[in-house]
Amino acid sequence: MSDPVSLLFTVLILSLVVNIGISLYGVFTRPSLVKKFISLTIFSDTLNSFAIALGFRRVVEGYPSIAVLASIPEDVSELAVVANTAVDPVPQALVLTAIVIGLAVYMFLAGLIVMYYRHYRTTHVRPAGGGSIE
Amino acid sequence: MNFREVVIAVSIALMVLLLAYVIEAGGLGPIAPQRLRELAASYLLNTYNPWNIIQSAQSLEAVTAIVWDYRGIDTFFETSVLFISIVGVSLLFRGYREKAGISNRGLSEIVKTSTKILSPLILISGLSIAIHGHLTPGGGFQGGSFIAVLLVLLSVVFSLDFVVERGLSTSRLLVLRSLGLLGVLATSVALLVVGLLTGVNAYIFQNMVREGASLSMPPWFLDRPTGGTLLFFNVFEALAVAAGLSLAFIVLSLRREEVEEALEKGEWYE
Repeated sequence: MSDPVSLLFTVLILSLVVNIGISLYGVFTRPSLVKKFISLTIFSDTLNSFAIALGFRRVVEGYPSIAVLASIPEDVSELAVVANTAVDPVPQALVLTAIVIGLAVYMFLAGLIVMYYRHYRTTHVRPAGGGSIE
Repeated sequence: MNFREVVIAVSIALMVLLLAYVIEAGGLGPIAPQRLRELAASYLLNTYNPWNIIQSAQSLEAVTAIVWDYRGIDTFFETSVLFISIVGVSLLFRGYREKAGISNRGLSEIVKTSTKILSPLILISGLSIAIHGHLTPGGGFQGGSFIAVLLVLLSVVFSLDFVVERGLSTSRLLVLRSLGLLGVLATSVALLVVGLLTGVNAYIFQNMVREGASLSMPPWFLDRPTGGTLLFFNVFEALAVAAGLSLAFIVLSLRREEVEEALEKGEWYE
Protein backbone atom coordinates (compact mmCIF):
# COMPACT_ATOMS: atom_id res chain seq x y z
CA MET A 1 0.00 0.00 0.00
CA SER A 2 3.04 2.27 -0.20
CA ASP A 3 2.17 3.20 -3.78
CA PRO A 4 0.06 6.43 -3.70
CA VAL A 5 -1.90 5.46 -6.82
CA SER A 6 -3.02 2.18 -5.20
CA LEU A 7 -3.97 4.02 -2.02
CA LEU A 8 -6.05 6.59 -3.93
CA PHE A 9 -7.65 3.83 -5.95
CA THR A 10 -8.61 1.98 -2.79
CA VAL A 11 -10.18 5.17 -1.43
CA LEU A 12 -12.07 5.68 -4.71
CA ILE A 13 -13.44 2.14 -4.85
CA LEU A 14 -14.39 2.17 -1.15
CA SER A 15 -16.22 5.48 -1.49
CA LEU A 16 -18.10 4.15 -4.51
CA VAL A 17 -19.15 1.08 -2.50
CA VAL A 18 -20.25 3.27 0.43
CA ASN A 19 -22.18 5.40 -2.08
CA ILE A 20 -23.99 2.26 -3.29
CA GLY A 21 -24.99 1.54 0.31
CA ILE A 22 -26.25 5.08 0.97
CA SER A 23 -28.26 5.24 -2.23
CA LEU A 24 -29.84 1.82 -1.57
CA TYR A 25 -30.73 2.99 1.94
CA GLY A 26 -32.46 6.00 0.34
CA VAL A 27 -34.42 3.77 -2.04
CA PHE A 28 -35.55 1.47 0.81
CA THR A 29 -36.41 3.89 3.58
CA ARG A 30 -37.45 7.25 2.13
CA PRO A 31 -41.24 7.40 1.78
CA SER A 32 -41.29 10.08 -0.92
CA LEU A 33 -41.20 8.80 -4.50
CA VAL A 34 -39.14 11.78 -5.59
CA LYS A 35 -36.44 10.95 -3.03
CA LYS A 36 -36.54 7.30 -4.03
CA PHE A 37 -36.10 8.43 -7.63
CA ILE A 38 -33.11 10.63 -6.76
CA SER A 39 -31.52 7.77 -4.79
CA LEU A 40 -32.05 5.44 -7.73
CA THR A 41 -30.28 7.84 -10.12
CA ILE A 42 -27.39 8.15 -7.64
CA PHE A 43 -27.26 4.35 -7.48
CA SER A 44 -27.01 3.98 -11.25
CA ASP A 45 -24.46 6.79 -11.55
CA THR A 46 -22.34 5.07 -8.91
CA LEU A 47 -22.47 1.77 -10.76
CA ASN A 48 -21.53 3.52 -14.01
CA SER A 49 -18.55 5.22 -12.35
CA PHE A 50 -17.61 1.85 -10.91
CA ALA A 51 -17.58 0.27 -14.37
CA ILE A 52 -15.45 3.12 -15.71
CA ALA A 53 -13.04 2.69 -12.80
CA LEU A 54 -12.70 -1.02 -13.62
CA GLY A 55 -11.59 0.00 -17.14
CA PHE A 56 -8.72 2.05 -15.76
CA ARG A 57 -5.21 0.68 -16.12
CA ARG A 58 -1.69 1.60 -15.13
CA VAL A 59 1.18 2.03 -17.53
CA VAL A 60 4.83 1.47 -16.88
CA GLU A 61 5.84 5.10 -17.33
CA GLY A 62 3.73 8.22 -16.88
CA TYR A 63 -0.05 8.22 -17.07
CA PRO A 64 -2.50 6.24 -19.21
CA SER A 65 -4.11 8.09 -22.11
CA ILE A 66 -7.73 8.17 -23.26
CA ALA A 67 -8.85 5.60 -25.83
CA VAL A 68 -8.43 8.05 -28.71
CA LEU A 69 -5.72 8.28 -31.35
CA ALA A 70 -4.39 11.82 -31.04
CA SER A 71 -3.20 11.98 -34.64
CA ILE A 72 -3.62 9.96 -37.81
CA PRO A 73 -1.03 7.16 -37.55
CA GLU A 74 1.46 6.85 -40.35
CA ASP A 75 2.86 3.47 -39.40
CA VAL A 76 1.53 0.25 -37.86
CA SER A 77 3.90 0.57 -34.92
CA GLU A 78 2.10 3.74 -33.71
CA LEU A 79 -1.00 1.63 -33.10
CA ALA A 80 0.88 -0.64 -30.73
CA VAL A 81 2.01 2.45 -28.77
CA VAL A 82 -1.63 3.51 -28.34
CA ALA A 83 -2.65 0.00 -27.30
CA ASN A 84 0.14 0.05 -24.71
CA THR A 85 -0.91 3.33 -23.08
CA ALA A 86 -4.67 3.79 -23.61
CA VAL A 87 -7.31 2.79 -21.06
CA ASP A 88 -9.92 0.09 -21.75
CA PRO A 89 -12.59 1.49 -24.14
CA VAL A 90 -15.06 -1.39 -23.66
CA PRO A 91 -16.49 -0.34 -20.24
CA GLN A 92 -16.83 3.21 -21.55
CA ALA A 93 -18.89 2.03 -24.53
CA LEU A 94 -21.05 -0.18 -22.31
CA VAL A 95 -21.57 2.65 -19.82
CA LEU A 96 -22.59 4.98 -22.65
CA THR A 97 -25.28 2.46 -23.61
CA ALA A 98 -26.29 2.05 -19.97
CA ILE A 99 -26.59 5.81 -19.50
CA VAL A 100 -28.88 6.18 -22.53
CA ILE A 101 -31.11 3.28 -21.46
CA GLY A 102 -31.11 4.59 -17.88
CA LEU A 103 -32.09 8.03 -19.10
CA ALA A 104 -34.99 6.55 -21.07
CA VAL A 105 -36.22 4.63 -18.04
CA TYR A 106 -35.83 7.60 -15.67
CA MET A 107 -37.65 9.91 -18.06
CA PHE A 108 -40.65 7.57 -18.06
CA LEU A 109 -40.35 7.13 -14.29
CA ALA A 110 -40.37 10.91 -13.78
CA GLY A 111 -43.50 11.12 -15.91
CA LEU A 112 -45.13 8.39 -13.81
CA ILE A 113 -44.23 10.22 -10.58
CA VAL A 114 -45.75 13.45 -11.89
CA MET A 115 -48.93 11.55 -12.78
CA TYR A 116 -48.91 9.88 -9.34
CA TYR A 117 -48.74 13.31 -7.73
CA ARG A 118 -51.62 14.60 -9.84
CA HIS A 119 -53.72 11.58 -8.89
CA TYR A 120 -53.02 11.31 -5.15
CA ARG A 121 -51.89 14.92 -4.44
CA THR A 122 -48.77 13.57 -2.69
CA THR A 123 -45.61 11.69 -3.61
CA HIS A 124 -45.79 9.51 -0.49
CA VAL A 125 -45.83 5.81 -1.46
CA ARG A 126 -48.45 4.73 1.08
CA PRO A 127 -51.66 5.94 -0.68
CA ALA A 128 -50.88 3.68 -3.65
CA GLY A 129 -51.27 0.62 -1.40
CA GLY A 130 -54.55 1.87 0.01
CA GLY A 131 -53.06 3.14 3.28
CA SER A 132 -52.90 6.67 4.59
CA ILE A 133 -49.99 8.92 5.57
CA GLU A 134 -49.41 8.89 9.32
CA MET B 1 -36.55 5.02 14.47
CA ASN B 2 -38.36 1.72 14.36
CA PHE B 3 -37.09 -1.83 14.16
CA ARG B 4 -37.55 -2.06 10.39
CA GLU B 5 -35.24 0.88 9.67
CA VAL B 6 -32.56 -0.53 11.96
CA VAL B 7 -32.63 -3.86 10.12
CA ILE B 8 -32.33 -2.10 6.76
CA ALA B 9 -29.46 0.09 7.94
CA VAL B 10 -27.55 -2.82 9.47
CA SER B 11 -27.96 -5.05 6.43
CA ILE B 12 -26.85 -2.29 4.07
CA ALA B 13 -23.81 -1.54 6.24
CA LEU B 14 -22.99 -5.27 6.19
CA MET B 15 -23.39 -5.31 2.39
CA VAL B 16 -20.99 -2.37 2.04
CA LEU B 17 -18.39 -4.04 4.26
CA LEU B 18 -18.60 -7.40 2.50
CA LEU B 19 -18.58 -5.85 -0.97
CA ALA B 20 -15.53 -3.78 -0.05
CA TYR B 21 -13.84 -6.92 1.27
CA VAL B 22 -14.63 -8.87 -1.92
CA ILE B 23 -13.23 -6.10 -4.10
CA GLU B 24 -10.11 -5.73 -2.00
CA ALA B 25 -9.59 -9.50 -2.11
CA GLY B 26 -9.64 -9.32 -5.91
CA GLY B 27 -13.10 -10.80 -6.42
CA LEU B 28 -13.86 -8.51 -9.37
CA GLY B 29 -10.50 -9.05 -10.99
CA PRO B 30 -7.43 -6.87 -10.54
CA ILE B 31 -8.11 -3.16 -9.99
CA ALA B 32 -6.09 -0.90 -12.32
CA PRO B 33 -3.95 -3.65 -13.87
CA GLN B 34 -0.97 -2.94 -16.08
CA ARG B 35 -2.01 -5.42 -18.73
CA LEU B 36 -4.93 -4.49 -20.96
CA ARG B 37 -7.65 -7.07 -21.55
CA GLU B 38 -7.33 -8.76 -24.95
CA LEU B 39 -10.72 -7.56 -26.20
CA ALA B 40 -9.79 -3.95 -25.41
CA ALA B 41 -6.38 -4.34 -27.06
CA SER B 42 -7.96 -5.66 -30.27
CA TYR B 43 -10.41 -2.74 -30.35
CA LEU B 44 -7.59 -0.24 -29.82
CA LEU B 45 -5.46 -1.87 -32.52
CA ASN B 46 -8.26 -2.00 -35.09
CA THR B 47 -10.25 1.17 -34.52
CA TYR B 48 -8.15 3.07 -37.06
CA ASN B 49 -6.07 0.63 -39.01
CA PRO B 50 -5.71 1.25 -42.77
CA TRP B 51 -3.30 -1.72 -42.93
CA ASN B 52 -6.01 -4.13 -41.79
CA ILE B 53 -9.13 -2.46 -43.13
CA ILE B 54 -11.17 -5.69 -43.02
CA GLN B 55 -11.44 -5.34 -39.22
CA SER B 56 -11.16 -1.58 -38.93
CA ALA B 57 -13.80 1.09 -38.40
CA GLN B 58 -11.51 3.91 -39.61
CA SER B 59 -12.44 6.01 -36.60
CA LEU B 60 -9.78 7.67 -34.47
CA GLU B 61 -11.93 7.27 -31.37
CA ALA B 62 -12.32 3.74 -30.08
CA VAL B 63 -15.52 4.27 -28.04
CA THR B 64 -17.52 5.64 -30.97
CA ALA B 65 -16.18 2.84 -33.15
CA ILE B 66 -17.40 0.24 -30.63
CA VAL B 67 -20.75 1.93 -30.08
CA TRP B 68 -21.73 2.58 -33.70
CA ASP B 69 -19.69 0.09 -35.73
CA TYR B 70 -18.75 -3.07 -33.84
CA ARG B 71 -21.91 -3.00 -31.70
CA GLY B 72 -24.08 -1.02 -34.11
CA ILE B 73 -27.30 -3.04 -33.86
CA ASP B 74 -27.12 -2.87 -30.07
CA THR B 75 -26.90 0.91 -30.23
CA PHE B 76 -29.72 1.12 -32.74
CA PHE B 77 -32.03 -0.66 -30.30
CA GLU B 78 -30.75 1.52 -27.48
CA THR B 79 -31.84 4.57 -29.48
CA SER B 80 -35.16 2.84 -30.08
CA VAL B 81 -35.59 2.37 -26.31
CA LEU B 82 -35.12 6.10 -25.86
CA PHE B 83 -37.70 6.70 -28.58
CA ILE B 84 -40.17 4.29 -26.97
CA SER B 85 -39.67 6.02 -23.63
CA ILE B 86 -40.46 9.39 -25.20
CA VAL B 87 -43.55 7.92 -26.87
CA GLY B 88 -44.53 6.53 -23.44
CA VAL B 89 -44.12 9.93 -21.76
CA SER B 90 -46.18 11.58 -24.50
CA LEU B 91 -48.85 8.89 -24.03
CA LEU B 92 -48.93 9.46 -20.27
CA PHE B 93 -49.57 13.16 -20.85
CA ARG B 94 -51.93 12.78 -23.79
CA GLY B 95 -54.63 15.37 -24.35
CA TYR B 96 -52.16 18.11 -23.53
CA ARG B 97 -51.64 21.12 -25.80
CA GLU B 98 -49.31 24.04 -25.24
CA LYS B 99 -51.28 27.19 -24.47
CA ALA B 100 -49.85 30.63 -25.18
CA GLY B 101 -49.88 33.56 -22.78
CA ILE B 102 -50.22 31.79 -19.43
CA SER B 103 -46.65 31.58 -18.22
CA ASN B 104 -44.76 34.53 -16.76
CA ARG B 105 -42.31 36.47 -18.85
CA GLY B 106 -39.21 34.68 -17.68
CA LEU B 107 -36.34 35.84 -15.52
CA SER B 108 -34.69 39.26 -15.26
CA GLU B 109 -33.05 41.20 -18.08
CA ILE B 110 -29.54 40.37 -16.84
CA VAL B 111 -30.16 36.62 -17.05
CA LYS B 112 -31.80 37.00 -20.45
CA THR B 113 -28.86 38.95 -21.89
CA SER B 114 -26.28 36.47 -20.63
CA THR B 115 -28.40 33.60 -21.97
CA LYS B 116 -28.53 35.33 -25.35
CA ILE B 117 -24.73 35.42 -25.38
CA LEU B 118 -24.46 31.80 -24.21
CA SER B 119 -27.07 30.21 -26.50
CA PRO B 120 -25.11 30.20 -29.79
CA LEU B 121 -22.04 28.97 -27.91
CA ILE B 122 -23.97 26.04 -26.45
CA LEU B 123 -25.43 25.19 -29.86
CA ILE B 124 -22.05 25.35 -31.61
CA SER B 125 -20.20 23.31 -28.99
CA GLY B 126 -23.00 20.71 -28.96
CA LEU B 127 -22.81 20.40 -32.74
CA SER B 128 -19.03 20.24 -32.55
CA ILE B 129 -19.13 17.40 -30.00
CA ALA B 130 -21.56 15.50 -32.24
CA ILE B 131 -19.81 16.06 -35.57
CA HIS B 132 -16.35 15.30 -34.18
CA GLY B 133 -17.63 12.19 -32.41
CA HIS B 134 -15.32 9.91 -34.37
CA LEU B 135 -12.24 12.13 -33.80
CA THR B 136 -12.45 13.32 -30.19
CA PRO B 137 -14.21 12.07 -27.04
CA GLY B 138 -17.93 12.60 -27.40
CA GLY B 139 -20.49 11.61 -29.97
CA GLY B 140 -24.09 11.91 -31.02
CA PHE B 141 -25.68 11.29 -27.65
CA GLN B 142 -23.39 13.65 -25.77
CA GLY B 143 -23.76 16.40 -28.37
CA GLY B 144 -27.52 15.92 -28.47
CA SER B 145 -27.92 16.20 -24.72
CA PHE B 146 -25.67 19.26 -24.83
CA ILE B 147 -28.05 20.89 -27.32
CA ALA B 148 -31.09 19.82 -25.27
CA VAL B 149 -29.66 21.86 -22.37
CA LEU B 150 -30.06 24.91 -24.62
CA LEU B 151 -33.80 24.41 -24.90
CA VAL B 152 -34.15 23.76 -21.17
CA LEU B 153 -32.24 26.98 -20.51
CA LEU B 154 -34.36 28.96 -22.98
CA SER B 155 -37.64 27.66 -21.59
CA VAL B 156 -36.59 28.49 -18.02
CA VAL B 157 -35.07 31.91 -18.73
CA PHE B 158 -37.42 33.15 -21.48
CA SER B 159 -40.51 31.05 -20.52
CA LEU B 160 -42.04 28.17 -22.45
CA ASP B 161 -44.10 30.53 -24.61
CA PHE B 162 -40.93 31.95 -26.12
CA VAL B 163 -39.80 28.47 -27.18
CA VAL B 164 -43.20 27.36 -28.49
CA GLU B 165 -43.70 30.61 -30.43
CA ARG B 166 -40.47 29.94 -32.28
CA GLY B 167 -41.85 26.70 -33.62
CA LEU B 168 -40.48 24.13 -31.17
CA SER B 169 -43.84 22.65 -30.18
CA THR B 170 -44.05 19.07 -28.94
CA SER B 171 -45.53 17.75 -32.18
CA ARG B 172 -42.75 19.32 -34.23
CA LEU B 173 -40.12 18.00 -31.83
CA LEU B 174 -41.61 14.51 -32.16
CA VAL B 175 -41.30 14.82 -35.95
CA LEU B 176 -37.64 15.88 -35.59
CA ARG B 177 -37.08 12.97 -33.20
CA SER B 178 -38.55 10.52 -35.70
CA LEU B 179 -36.49 12.06 -38.52
CA GLY B 180 -33.34 11.42 -36.48
CA LEU B 181 -34.28 7.78 -35.92
CA LEU B 182 -35.16 7.37 -39.62
CA GLY B 183 -31.79 8.88 -40.51
CA VAL B 184 -30.04 6.31 -38.32
CA LEU B 185 -32.08 3.57 -39.99
CA ALA B 186 -31.32 4.89 -43.49
CA THR B 187 -27.59 5.10 -42.74
CA SER B 188 -27.55 1.56 -41.41
CA VAL B 189 -29.10 0.08 -44.57
CA ALA B 190 -27.51 2.51 -47.08
CA LEU B 191 -24.76 0.15 -48.22
CA LEU B 192 -27.15 -2.80 -48.27
CA VAL B 193 -29.49 -0.92 -50.64
CA VAL B 194 -26.59 0.11 -52.88
CA GLY B 195 -25.37 -3.48 -52.88
CA LEU B 196 -28.82 -4.81 -53.79
CA LEU B 197 -29.16 -2.30 -56.64
CA THR B 198 -25.73 -3.02 -58.10
CA GLY B 199 -25.75 -6.74 -57.39
CA VAL B 200 -22.79 -6.70 -54.98
CA ASN B 201 -22.64 -8.37 -51.57
CA ALA B 202 -23.19 -6.00 -48.63
CA TYR B 203 -24.19 -6.22 -44.98
CA ILE B 204 -26.58 -4.28 -42.81
CA PHE B 205 -24.67 -1.81 -40.58
CA GLN B 206 -21.67 -2.18 -42.88
CA ASN B 207 -19.14 0.59 -42.59
CA MET B 208 -15.82 -0.29 -44.21
CA VAL B 209 -14.81 -3.07 -46.57
CA ARG B 210 -15.55 -6.47 -45.01
CA GLU B 211 -14.76 -9.98 -46.10
CA GLY B 212 -16.83 -10.79 -49.20
CA ALA B 213 -18.35 -7.31 -49.33
CA SER B 214 -16.31 -4.77 -51.21
CA LEU B 215 -18.55 -1.74 -50.69
CA SER B 216 -17.42 0.95 -48.27
CA MET B 217 -18.64 4.29 -46.95
CA PRO B 218 -16.28 7.18 -47.84
CA PRO B 219 -13.54 7.05 -45.17
CA TRP B 220 -12.20 10.52 -45.98
CA PHE B 221 -13.78 13.95 -46.43
CA LEU B 222 -11.08 16.20 -47.94
CA ASP B 223 -8.21 15.71 -45.47
CA ARG B 224 -10.31 14.47 -42.52
CA PRO B 225 -11.29 10.89 -41.71
CA THR B 226 -15.08 10.58 -41.49
CA GLY B 227 -15.27 7.10 -40.03
CA GLY B 228 -17.67 6.16 -42.83
CA THR B 229 -21.12 5.71 -41.31
CA LEU B 230 -20.04 7.04 -37.90
CA LEU B 231 -20.31 10.71 -38.95
CA PHE B 232 -23.89 10.22 -40.17
CA PHE B 233 -24.85 8.14 -37.15
CA ASN B 234 -23.53 10.80 -34.80
CA VAL B 235 -25.30 13.68 -36.58
CA PHE B 236 -28.66 11.87 -36.73
CA GLU B 237 -28.33 10.64 -33.15
CA ALA B 238 -27.60 14.19 -31.98
CA LEU B 239 -30.73 15.44 -33.77
CA ALA B 240 -32.81 12.63 -32.31
CA VAL B 241 -31.54 13.01 -28.74
CA ALA B 242 -31.75 16.83 -28.73
CA ALA B 243 -35.34 16.77 -30.00
CA GLY B 244 -36.33 13.87 -27.76
CA LEU B 245 -34.95 15.29 -24.52
CA SER B 246 -36.40 18.74 -25.26
CA LEU B 247 -39.77 17.11 -25.92
CA ALA B 248 -39.61 15.21 -22.64
CA PHE B 249 -38.67 18.38 -20.77
CA ILE B 250 -41.56 20.37 -22.26
CA VAL B 251 -44.03 17.59 -21.52
CA LEU B 252 -42.81 17.16 -17.94
CA SER B 253 -42.93 20.90 -17.23
CA LEU B 254 -46.55 21.29 -18.25
CA ARG B 255 -48.54 23.97 -16.43
CA ARG B 256 -51.69 23.91 -14.34
CA GLU B 257 -53.97 25.53 -16.94
CA GLU B 258 -52.95 23.02 -19.56
CA VAL B 259 -53.43 20.13 -17.16
CA GLU B 260 -56.90 21.30 -16.20
CA GLU B 261 -57.88 21.64 -19.83
CA ALA B 262 -56.65 18.13 -20.51
CA LEU B 263 -58.52 16.87 -17.43
CA GLU B 264 -61.74 18.53 -18.60
CA LYS B 265 -61.52 16.65 -21.85
CA GLY B 266 -61.71 13.59 -19.64
CA GLU B 267 -59.06 11.58 -21.37
CA TRP B 268 -57.16 10.64 -18.22
CA TYR B 269 -58.08 8.11 -15.56
CA GLU B 270 -61.09 6.76 -17.43
